[in-house]
Amino acid sequence: MSTRSARSWWQRAAVEILSDRLALACLSLFAVFFIAALGVWAGLWGQEWGATSATIRAPVSARHWFGTNAIGQDIFARCLFSARTAFEVGLLVALLATALGALLGALGGYYSNRWPDRVAMWVMGVIDAIPFYLLVAAVAYAMRGSPFAMHIAMVACFWTTTGRLIRAEVIKLKRLSFIEAAQVIGVSEPAIIFRHILPNTVHLLLVQATISFVAAVKAEVVLSFLGLGVKDGVSWGVMIAESAHDNLAGHFNNFVAASVSLFLLVMALNLLADVIQDVLDPRRGLRL
Amino acid sequence: MRGAIDNFLSVALLILGVTLIGFLLIVYFGPDKTHELAGKNPTAAEIAEIRHQLGYDRPLPLRYARYLKELATLDFGFSDATGERVTSILKRTVPVSAALLLPGFVIGQLLALALAGVAAFNQGRILDRLIMALSVVGMSISFLVVMIAFQIAFASSYGLNWFPARGWDASTALSYLRHVAVPTLAIVFVGTGYSTRFYRSVFVEELGRDYVRTARSFGFSRPRIFVLGVLRNSLLPIMTRILYSIPMLLIGGSLVVEGYFGIPGVGKVTFDAITSGDQPVMKAVIGLTSVVLGTVMLVADRLYGFVDPRIK
Repeated sequence: MSTRSARSWWQRAAVEILSDRLALACLSLFAVFFIAALGVWAGLWGQEWGATSATIRAPVSARHWFGTNAIGQDIFARCLFSARTAFEVGLLVALLATALGALLGALGGYYSNRWPDRVAMWVMGVIDAIPFYLLVAAVAYAMRGSPFAMHIAMVACFWTTTGRLIRAEVIKLKRLSFIEAAQVIGVSEPAIIFRHILPNTVHLLLVQATISFVAAVKAEVVLSFLGLGVKDGVSWGVMIAESAHDNLAGHFNNFVAASVSLFLLVMALNLLADVIQDVLDPRRGLRL
Repeated sequence: MRGAIDNFLSVALLILGVTLIGFLLIVYFGPDKTHELAGKNPTAAEIAEIRHQLGYDRPLPLRYARYLKELATLDFGFSDATGERVTSILKRTVPVSAALLLPGFVIGQLLALALAGVAAFNQGRILDRLIMALSVVGMSISFLVVMIAFQIAFASSYGLNWFPARGWDASTALSYLRHVAVPTLAIVFVGTGYSTRFYRSVFVEELGRDYVRTARSFGFSRPRIFVLGVLRNSLLPIMTRILYSIPMLLIGGSLVVEGYFGIPGVGKVTFDAITSGDQPVMKAVIGLTSVVLGTVMLVADRLYGFVDPRIK
């Protein structure tokens, strides 16, 4: 694939995504959350998420946009800070899990049915055989409550899907003539794998990264509820967990704010993953 | 025959892998339990005695072998937390989890199959798009949020208040139904989205095959082709998904549902074991999960040959 046609393929994909109204709406929604997270990082807003006050379980007002919780903390500030937590967890896990899956999947696919591949396949089978929450719990237990136990366990769990997918794709790709040509003219094996094969799986990696991001954000919520999640700071999972008492008192602001934020971000990314998959599918590109 | 031996070997390797990871994480890298078990101001001899009992003075391979022996003889000793025999804990809790999760699982899968069939039949039309949109919504809502929302809606004074908010009582059929209702609704809601999408893509691929067109041109009705051809040919991926969901559901699903609703099943026991550091129970749960999964793999392999004679 020459650089020029590659660029036009990406351009075409971008135009197609931007002309799809649903995709555009999802992208905008994602951008809103991302800006909210960046603002927290930059210290622009969401900093007073931990400050308590005397106004307990206040309703929605101009001062407290989403009201306050049981100990008088501003729910809107906590929601904003949680967006930062979600992006931290999601981006970290998605990047590492996708990179690991791409690397081991590509190696396994290129050397398929030789011993490195067999070992990789066995490891994937073993990891997939351990129920996710049990593995996270075991990792957290072994790491004695380290704040990164959750991230490590998620990466360890999530790379296998990407790994299998890339492995299957690489097995298909390595039989194509441009790879055979590269082998014949003596291009080194690492160069073939990383410069000629892996770039042709980018569309899969992009979709997988999006799906891993979603999985990580959703898993964080359940893990925080189980007490295995975010240790310092606040997250939508922590907010939902602490909302249990508010709910009993008939004060649903905490619960609604956190779960609606979570739902919007996850939904936008789920829909976006579908669109990316459709637009970037090279088989479909040929027909254009 | 060779295939069967290969299969058995790969299952054995899988069980070895899972138990090894579980053992390393929980026992080897896990916290040292000596001081928890020792009394106040223990003497050196007492400490050595406890370390010997826990096996800390032996090399790793021997300790792992002892774990495998525990698994093979189904004797995991006694719970650190309650002193109860681990096997009797499991005997008490596994049926509760099965009774809790099975209705939701069965209803969810049947509903997903029906919805996926309707969607695939009307591919590209409004009904298909509606079902697919609903499944994305279902996929995007957290399990925890669904449980809390359903609890508020069906089991609190802020909603309909038809069912008990939490707990478990299966002494009579009526109280069983009352306690299982809200968790079942939550399980159905959460599982259906993912499964519907999966089954729909299976059906759509199958509907695009040549034999479907041929059958149509011979005048077979679409429902008949669907039942006799498409459904039958899709049996393999459907079965695989259902079979492999079982062990995941038993532990993964029950951990969250039972933890939230306070139901004394195997998930709650696992959760408590994690939070209190009850190593014998954790070891038993991980080991038995891998055995169940291995069994499922062997069963699945036999069933494949039964469903599709070409595989035999």
